[in-house]
Amino acid sequence: MNGIITYIRRKLSVRVSLRVVVSAAILFITALGLMFYQARVAVRQEAISRATQILDKTSLRVDSILNRVEVASDMTKWLVERHTDDADLMFVYSRSMLENNPNFYNCSVAFEPDYFENKGRYFSAYTRHVGDSIRTIQGGSDNYQYFYMDWYLMPKLLERPCWTEPYFDHDVSTNTSEMVTSYCQTIKDRQGKMIGVINTSLSINWLSHTISAVKPYPHSYSIMIGRGGTYFVHPDTTKITRQTIFTHTLEQPDTAMMALGYAMQRGESGMKLMHLDGKDNYVFYKPLGKTGCSMAIVCPESDIFRSFDRLQNTILAIVAIGLLLMLCFFIRIITYELDPLRRLATEAETIASGQFDAELPDLKRIDEIGQLSHSFGNMQQSLVRYIEELKNTTAQKASIESDLRIASDIQMGMLPEKFPTRNDHEDVQLYASLTPAKEVGGDLFDFYFRDEKLFFCIGDVSGKGVPASLFMAVTRSTFRTVSAHESMPDRIVTIMNKTIADMNKNHMFVTLFVGVLDLPTGRLHYCNAGHDAPLLVGAGIGELPCDSNIPVGFMPKWNFSLQEAQIFIGTTIFLFTDGLTEAMDAHKAQFHMKRVNEVAERALANQQHEPRQLIEQMTDAVHQFVGDAEQSDDLTMMAIQYIRQQCDAKIQKNIMLSNDIQEVPQLDAFIEDICHTVGFDDIETMKIKVAVEEAVVNVMKYAYPTGQRGNVNVEAAFNGSRLKVTIIDSGKPFDPTVHSTVDTSLSAKERKIGGLGIHIMRQNMDSINYERMDKLNVLTLRKNLKNKD
Amino acid sequence: MKTTIQEQDGKMVAILAGSLDTAAAPETEKAMSPLNDVVGKDIIIDCTELEYISSAGLRIFLGILQNTEEKGGHVFIKGINENVRTIFAITGFSNIFKFM
Repeated sequence: MNGIITYIRRKLSVRVSLRVVVSAAILFITALGLMFYQARVAVRQEAISRATQILDKTSLRVDSILNRVEVASDMTKWLVERHTDDADLMFVYSRSMLENNPNFYNCSVAFEPDYFENKGRYFSAYTRHVGDSIRTIQGGSDNYQYFYMDWYLMPKLLERPCWTEPYFDHDVSTNTSEMVTSYCQTIKDRQGKMIGVINTSLSINWLSHTISAVKPYPHSYSIMIGRGGTYFVHPDTTKITRQTIFTHTLEQPDTAMMALGYAMQRGESGMKLMHLDGKDNYVFYKPLGKTGCSMAIVCPESDIFRSFDRLQNTILAIVAIGLLLMLCFFIRIITYELDPLRRLATEAETIASGQFDAELPDLKRIDEIGQLSHSFGNMQQSLVRYIEELKNTTAQKASIESDLRIASDIQMGMLPEKFPTRNDHEDVQLYASLTPAKEVGGDLFDFYFRDEKLFFCIGDVSGKGVPASLFMAVTRSTFRTVSAHESMPDRIVTIMNKTIADMNKNHMFVTLFVGVLDLPTGRLHYCNAGHDAPLLVGAGIGELPCDSNIPVGFMPKWNFSLQEAQIFIGTTIFLFTDGLTEAMDAHKAQFHMKRVNEVAERALANQQHEPRQLIEQMTDAVHQFVGDAEQSDDLTMMAIQYIRQQCDAKIQKNIMLSNDIQEVPQLDAFIEDICHTVGFDDIETMKIKVAVEEAVVNVMKYAYPTGQRGNVNVEAAFNGSRLKVTIIDSGKPFDPTVHSTVDTSLSAKERKIGGLGIHIMRQNMDSINYERMDKLNVLTLRKNLKNKD
Repeated sequence: MKTTIQEQDGKMVAILAGSLDTAAAPETEKAMSPLNDVVGKDIIIDCTELEYISSAGLRIFLGILQNTEEKGGHVFIKGINENVRTIFAITGFSNIFKFM
């Protein structure tokens, strides 16, 4: 069954044909049903009227027979009453009655007992057909005392002629019985005294034949019942006289049969539909004249509607066969018409499997299927074109992605990877992280040590992606270049701004925070160019106060301001880009400064505010907040903790020199003395001496205007492991550390005379550092005392 | 600081003794100026007695070297002690001078 349903669902032709044929079938069946119903009503009406006519005819016929009996009886009575004295004449009358009316069964002219004196007690002239002849005898005897018979007594007592109930007429001579019904009337003498009875009988059998001959349908039959309901005519002869119409209902209550019986007894005429012998029958009934009998014709419905049913079946068969043929025909036609569609479907399947060059069937049709085929062809061509374009685009995209990956690696490579920690740096520890929102980003951070200063910066380029990343690279390299020669953040930023603005055609900009932390003193110089103010996490949480400078990159003439702050030992400077405060969760809510402060406060409370710890906690908090939402902006954080432990000087000496190079030998002696006291060997001593001499001679030569006297104060301090020489002067600001170093690989011819001094200082000392403090130039040189093994 | 210039075997020899610090440099430069007039002879700077040299001293050495090489001559450093050699090494001067 499922197989058939699946087949129908898969076959459009079958489905459409079925729909059409089913619709047609419904239409036909409705029309035919209506027609058949009307025809059936008409046939039934016709049958009823026909049966009624036949019944009426039969009834009339029976009536005419009865009338004849009555007329003949009346005529015989008239003759008999004229000659009541002649007994022999009675035989003649009786015989002539049958001679004139061959249909009569018998005729008796019977007299009162002892009426004829010479004829004894019984006299009844009885004539009857025996075979083809007519026999007349005297019927009364001791065995047959006729005057006690119903037929004799009824007219005598009723004093009017009457028809008897059928009874058996017994012929003594032949000892045969025949069921008859008789018309009886009294014979009266001239005085009006009743003297006998004339009895004229009709054979019920004959009557029955007459009635039974009425056969409107092959299987119809007639019945006749008497006043008591006794069957006188019935196809089942065993029931005749032995059963009544009610007999059967005693065993099996049958209201329809009883109703029929009563109706017939009452002498009504009509028609009833009854179920008899397992079939539906129409029963037409009518009383039979004066006899008190009633006859009925039973017509099986199947007979009435036989030809009609045959016609109906024939039509139905024709319609059914026609519909089936129509179905087959439709399926064939639709299949034929849809064949191109099927081929198209096959080809479409081929194309769908990736074979875009499959040949489409060339349909020379202009109907919907032709249009579809045409559209499909266009689609195929477009598909081929698009696939080709897609291939190219994908290849280009892959190439771009590969480039982006490399760019990302390069960009990440630009950032410092090694972060100073407590283990390898005694002044400061630092940690930073940068997470770009795309492959490459516009955030940057950088730091490096020069002498005893930490140069650092953090920045955020406007926009994201490749343009921002290029701008970031430019910014970062500019920072490195500029800060190599400048130690003051305001100068660094101002120069960077000018440099970048000059080449900025796209009006991009970068917010930047540049700081320089002087490690020996914890002094922070900084310049903020429109960046978020950093947090100080140490003795509580606080923002570093920042001037409102513009971002870098679009106003080349802007002078950025310098700010200064003291960083205390243990304090962490936390720098970040707006990717932190503006990190968004799935509902576009921002992380906000409030949460940054909360995380920092918690970290501080737990003493977990070392750079790496702080940044990791901040990162966790942001990840937790953002959840599965896509990162919206580059996120960069940098934390710097100042951890320098000041050591008390064990040895401290100083010498004040004037700006006269003739005092250099004093300086040399001073240095030599302290170096030996501290424990440096000869070579180290000589190196320190050369370096300090270079620094001091620089001051002597250039700090003060020619001819003006000035002082140079040289302090030497030793804390047990390191010698610190501080050279202080009040001359014009001069930072020797920003001067470029000499190239020692050049040939003698190419070598310049100048620049050697700073080179020697750097080479000979472990660190040098310049600070401008309170209008003084402060240059610090340091040298570690190596352990003597 | 003591500077002596003499001719030995067709070569000009400058003998430096003492500490060539910045203060001594102008005097030494003056004493060695005759070497700038030498043509066609190699110059030997004898540093055996030189205890110390500052960058000002190195500048004098570089001046003599560039001047002599321009005229096709050669400058040799002789008998340099460990301390001074260190300064030469740091400044890259050991690459441009010839030692004997």
